[in-house]
Amino acid sequence: MFFRAVSLSVFVVMLTPFAYAIEVDELIHHIDRLWRGDTSQAMMTMTVKTQRYERAMSMEAWSRGKDYSLVVIREPVKDRGIATLKADENIWNYLPKINRVTKVPSSMMSGSWMGSHFTNDDLVKESTFEDDFDATITFEGERDGQAVYELTFLPRPDAPVVWGKVVMMIEQKSLAPYKSLYYDEEGLLVRTMTFDQFQKIDDRTIPMRLTLQPEDKPEESTMIVYQNIAFGVPLEETFFSLQTLKQRR
Amino acid sequence: MLLFIGWRNIWRNPIRSALTIGALAGGLVMVILYSAIMEGLSRQMVQFATEISTGHIQLHRQAFIDDQDLYATMPWSYMEKIEHAFSAIHIAPRLYAAGLASSADHSTGVLIKAVDPKRETAVTRMLRHVRFGELDLGVADTTESGLTRYNLVIGAQLAKNMKVAPGGELVLVTQAADGSIGNALYRIAAVLKPLEPNFDRMGVLMSIEAYQQLMYVENGFHELAIKVDDTDGIASVQSRLDGMLKGLQTTQPLDELGGAPVVRNWRQLTPAIADMLEMSGTIILIIGVIVISLASMGMLNTMLMAVHERTHEFGILLSIGMKRRWLLLMVLFESFFLALVAALAGSLIGSVISVYFEEHGIDFSGYMPDGYDWAGIVFEPVMKGYLDPVHVVNASILMIIITMIASLIPAWRVVRLKPAEVIR
Repeated sequence: MFFRAVSLSVFVVMLTPFAYAIEVDELIHHIDRLWRGDTSQAMMTMTVKTQRYERAMSMEAWSRGKDYSLVVIREPVKDRGIATLKADENIWNYLPKINRVTKVPSSMMSGSWMGSHFTNDDLVKESTFEDDFDATITFEGERDGQAVYELTFLPRPDAPVVWGKVVMMIEQKSLAPYKSLYYDEEGLLVRTMTFDQFQKIDDRTIPMRLTLQPEDKPEESTMIVYQNIAFGVPLEETFFSLQTLKQRR
Repeated sequence: MLLFIGWRNIWRNPIRSALTIGALAGGLVMVILYSAIMEGLSRQMVQFATEISTGHIQLHRQAFIDDQDLYATMPWSYMEKIEHAFSAIHIAPRLYAAGLASSADHSTGVLIKAVDPKRETAVTRMLRHVRFGELDLGVADTTESGLTRYNLVIGAQLAKNMKVAPGGELVLVTQAADGSIGNALYRIAAVLKPLEPNFDRMGVLMSIEAYQQLMYVENGFHELAIKVDDTDGIASVQSRLDGMLKGLQTTQPLDELGGAPVVRNWRQLTPAIADMLEMSGTIILIIGVIVISLASMGMLNTMLMAVHERTHEFGILLSIGMKRRWLLLMVLFESFFLALVAALAGSLIGSVISVYFEEHGIDFSGYMPDGYDWAGIVFEPVMKGYLDPVHVVNASILMIIITMIASLIPAWRVVRLKPAEVIR
């Protein structure tokens, strides 16, 4: 779901909050489930700031595993009911005004998702992030005034990805990420995601606010704030279907 | 007297002379035909480059040129002022956007182009380039839920890829200027013949009214295409427009992000075509020199033979007191007559064939029904020649000069004859 899209991976179930030497695989596997769990339901607000306008949308989102997610826009009225369904590698949008479902073609994957700085690809690629990237802990110790792990993700040779490198900083004590840096293939920083407003839900420390900052447009950004997240919500696979997409207005 | 002798000498061996004349004339015909085709192509190029969708002059803002910035519009009042200030021009405003088009089974990224049908028709032939269907950019109908469906027109390749035909429905989804998700239903009214490769593959054409309802861009236009009635006046219109826009910007300032307005003529808009036109004159000259030089080798051979045969005769002429320069002149006259006859025959045949091409053209539509695109411009599948009389005269003069240079070799031989040796 979108939370994942956003995190692109980071997360860890907490073993003990104290400094065990943690295994990379363990770290990745758990980081992966931070905003998602097995199933989840969340309310969030996305604020997109561009040179020309600032726009807030509130949305409701559901997810099941890494392959299924559904987001429905609640506010503003103009866009109410517009929904995005992600199932495996496919994305569909439902447009209530014209009552049509459109599939996002692969050529449009790098296009903006709902006018934000996230791309459709961010939604799709997060489910294959573990398969596409190799991770290593490249730093462990004191940084930014706290004990952190620095995870570096490098794409596997044949992986169809846009990033040349992704670096994620995780606070050791809570095992919550606080910053991700995305580099292109030339090694230039393309965008930065910062995480804050940590909250403890079901034993995990979850950042409730994500801010995506594109490097080439310093005056623009997209911010997502979670009002609430519930995990372990009963949601069947059939919930993530084109029928639900149309009904969930 | 020498002229007459020269002329008579040619016909002492009529077959050999006729063959020589044939070779020279054939070379000339090739050159004339080649230049007629090149000229025809150039003219077609200018025509296709300007008449179909570009116009003679275009006006944009810098940010739109750089990255198709949706917000880089110029206010409608600019257009009205321009329309009032110039008399012998036609103008057509256009708006653009990127979007996602979906038919029942297919989705693809498209380039949305909005025009004012009335004004557009006066500037370009774009809207007359219909392949299927009937051109109509008005309201098609209203759905049960009260939604207005506008008509739109799409590119041929896009229609093929999306498997849609006139009468079918298309959904467009895009990000409107206020950040909301613009979406609407449309009816496909017509499929256009290729205008330019990009439009053909991903172009969707609608009215400005339909565009404004989808995109919420109401206060201006992205592009102004201008047709100048007298094409010789393009440069002056361009500079006047430049000056006028500078004035308008002080009285009616534009927002900073969109950049300054930029006026460009078709040569600047399609530099590949302009370069090609510049080059084609030189290419014709080089090809002409090569072809005619080859043909004049034949003439050189003929004259060498003729001189060789007549060494005895020349020897006698010299010994009875003929001046060497007269002999030289006589041989040159012979070559000149050969060249002249060849020039007359060649220009006549070349012109006749060229006129035929001018009227009928070379039709490739059998295997290229859509024409072909080259340097970003779509050409119609019929290649037409254009015969410029100046080219015929130039080619003939070129031929005579080259053959005369070649004939200096046999003439020089005659001059160097030693009468005592050759008479024996």
